[in-house]
Amino acid sequence: MSIVIDKSKRYGFMAGCSLPSYNPEITTKTTAYLNSVFPKFSAVQKCCGKPTKAVGQYDLFKERFKGLQDDMDEVGIEEMIVACQSCKLTFNEVSTTPTHSLWEVLPLIGLPEEVKNKGKDSEIVFTIHDSCSTRNDKKLQDGIRWILDELGYKYVESKLSRDKTRCCGFGGMVVPTNPEVAKKVMKRRVETLDSENIVVYCAACRSSILQGGAKSWHILDLVWGPVVNKNDNSPADVLASPLKSWINRYKAKKGINKTVK
Amino acid sequence: MEKVKFSDQIIKDAQKIVEECMGKEDAFCQSACPMSTDAKGYVNLIAEKKYDEAIKLIREKLFLPNTLGRVCAHPCEKDCRREVDFNEPIAIAALKRFAAEKADDESIWDLTTGNDTGKKVAVVGAGPAGAQAAIDLRRNGHAVTIYDKLDVLGGMMRVGIPAYRLPRDIIDYEYSYLTKLGVEFKLGVEIGKDIKFSELRDQYDVVLLAHGAHKGNIIPIPGHKAEGVFPATEYLKEISLTGNFEKAGKKIMVIGGGDVAMDCARSSFRIGAEEVYQCSLEDNDNLPASHEEIHESLEEGVIFNAGWGPIEIIEQDGKVTGIKIQKVKSIFDDEGRFNPAYEAEEKIIDIDTVVMATGQVVEDITDGVLKQIRGGRYEVDKDTLETEIEDVFAAGDAAGSVIVIEAMALGRKAAISIDRYLKGINLRENRCFKEEWSYETKLDVPLPEDIEDEPRLHTNMRPADERKRDFNQADLGFSEEDAVKEASRCLECECKMCMKECIMMNDFCQCPKEIMEKLINGEDIEPLLAYSCNSCDNCTIVCPHELPMKKIFIGSRKDFVKANKGESPMKGHKAIKLHQLFGFSRLFTTKRKGGDK
Repeated sequence: MSIVIDKSKRYGFMAGCSLPSYNPEITTKTTAYLNSVFPKFSAVQKCCGKPTKAVGQYDLFKERFKGLQDDMDEVGIEEMIVACQSCKLTFNEVSTTPTHSLWEVLPLIGLPEEVKNKGKDSEIVFTIHDSCSTRNDKKLQDGIRWILDELGYKYVESKLSRDKTRCCGFGGMVVPTNPEVAKKVMKRRVETLDSENIVVYCAACRSSILQGGAKSWHILDLVWGPVVNKNDNSPADVLASPLKSWINRYKAKKGINKTVK
Repeated sequence: MEKVKFSDQIIKDAQKIVEECMGKEDAFCQSACPMSTDAKGYVNLIAEKKYDEAIKLIREKLFLPNTLGRVCAHPCEKDCRREVDFNEPIAIAALKRFAAEKADDESIWDLTTGNDTGKKVAVVGAGPAGAQAAIDLRRNGHAVTIYDKLDVLGGMMRVGIPAYRLPRDIIDYEYSYLTKLGVEFKLGVEIGKDIKFSELRDQYDVVLLAHGAHKGNIIPIPGHKAEGVFPATEYLKEISLTGNFEKAGKKIMVIGGGDVAMDCARSSFRIGAEEVYQCSLEDNDNLPASHEEIHESLEEGVIFNAGWGPIEIIEQDGKVTGIKIQKVKSIFDDEGRFNPAYEAEEKIIDIDTVVMATGQVVEDITDGVLKQIRGGRYEVDKDTLETEIEDVFAAGDAAGSVIVIEAMALGRKAAISIDRYLKGINLRENRCFKEEWSYETKLDVPLPEDIEDEPRLHTNMRPADERKRDFNQADLGFSEEDAVKEASRCLECECKMCMKECIMMNDFCQCPKEIMEKLINGEDIEPLLAYSCNSCDNCTIVCPHELPMKKIFIGSRKDFVKANKGESPMKGHKAIKLHQLFGFSRLFTTKRKGGDK
């Protein structure tokens, strides 16, 4: 179903967990951009509880999600935008608020003029690793391609993309349970992609791809960060350090608080 | 952790996987073989040049690999995926012969027999059915004596299949296995003549009738009594035993379209015929004979009249001088009955000999004690091969088989029944009849990507002009290089699509069915398995039946948590617990409502 943007409604945004933990700057910039587009705008930062559910604690999950729903209701959100694919699925399943992926919304509201075609002179050729949780969401995947086209970057489609995508290795809370298997899955995923420069739209996927041995950028790195050139290194694996991740999460919270008033 | 109680939905999904998962299904070649020979297995061992292992695998089921490698009608090749999709089946039979020639050795023959049971079995007939039954019965500790009216071993393989296809020393060598096992032979003894059937029953605990269908069939068309008309059985038998057929002329018509007809036609050249013809109701596209036999017959110069039926044998002074044949319009009528109809077109061919390869019947040796049905076959219970008399069983062509490998399967089936009978075990209880014959595998998988139509490699045939003059083997077999190349074409048919996709399942099972069988039998699945699933769904996506593996792995976590006081049973998940506490804590969360702009 196509989304229709209705600016008389109050839109809300939540980046998720991994994105703010990875990079508070791009989280804040995205929040600020959405805030500039929507006349009525709210933002929340909390976990949707997917990890709780994934380990099998369904009752606790329900309780936890309710806390988030209460927050959203409290700040008057009528339509929700999320930047995490797991959030999208969780919200679709249990939230009373209609929820859209940021990657579907951006093509509708457009990118800021200043970022358009920024990559047109770069010789780097990316490929896309699609998130496996939303493998059947073609609109969402189209949004990522649209953003790359708008930015002017070149990319090739890998054979195992979109609905045929493979797991990055992070799914199902396997990393803390069976790290050997997770590592093998990460390596195999990298081997089955058709470029070593990999664009993702999930920060956890980005961490997995890096551990699998390739370079990887979050799509928002490309939107808000510097122009990426052929031999550039991708940002470090921040999520590998819990301490840095929580500091970033705190910074993101501060950034959101400063942006949305 | 307490005993996990899996929810009804999990058990229901597991049940579905047990029923539909094709991970344990046999390959098409194996299920097509009445003896369930693991053709895929040995073909791939040949591809890996592991000939010793290949012959061992073949010998688990077949005691005459070299013989079958030459004469088996190979139903496996008809069901081979490369036949079904490309009309270029793997040369499974010829590869079996290659493995036998390369690596068969008496030192690997399994000569173990069970403890002596004191029971005695008489087997009538030294063909493949009788021999197979004798082997299985000896292995179970029974004393076995094989009777045959011929002085030689092999039954129809010896006197039906010509020597240029099956050299006789190979039969003798492979049959030496029976002697080594302790099977006793009484050759040149005809039951019903030299020893009465009733006497045989008196002397043994059980009698197995496996004496084949050696009586030829003559179709009663006008002229069929003329001098120069012979049944294929008589023709091939004399040629087999003497290398000649005294009464044959120089211009021979063979009536029939099956492998026996091809054997008669090709043998005719070898005993000095100048012209050899064939005619059959079936046209070229529907001949029952194998492609190889038709091809080799054509190469040797047999003139085919497939789709032309014999109408009249023309005689002069009581001797055959020709045959009138007529073009066939249809073989069966609207109701599906055998009722040939003809076009107006007819022709007369000058010949002096007619050989009818139009079926064979079983001759009764029981003095009418047992009822015979169509083709003279004894009336038997299809599942157990028991007859109306409790200590008499039948197998092979005498019980309805048509080809060697089927005869062997019936021999094996009869041996299972006889062993049970002798031990006082019910013939039917706890017995899987499906495994005693060919069956339809449930395997249904898409052709693997990037598979191309690679042509079948052929064995080295002696030039037609040379080979048609003698009874030495016509086919010299595969070179090692060709055998390996041919074996490498095997598509290794199996499902296991999810196992190729999922890394972690390989640490726990051969296929999901294995795990789910445990689950529905009340056993737990390992928590580590359920918690190693990435939840990516690729297993289900590649599964031809879209079976719900992820749904079970992820769904069962709820049940594990329930059995573990509300916590994940995985130690590593303590970190998640902490992360979740932080993720919901006020320190890291926020909610902001922007003002209306």
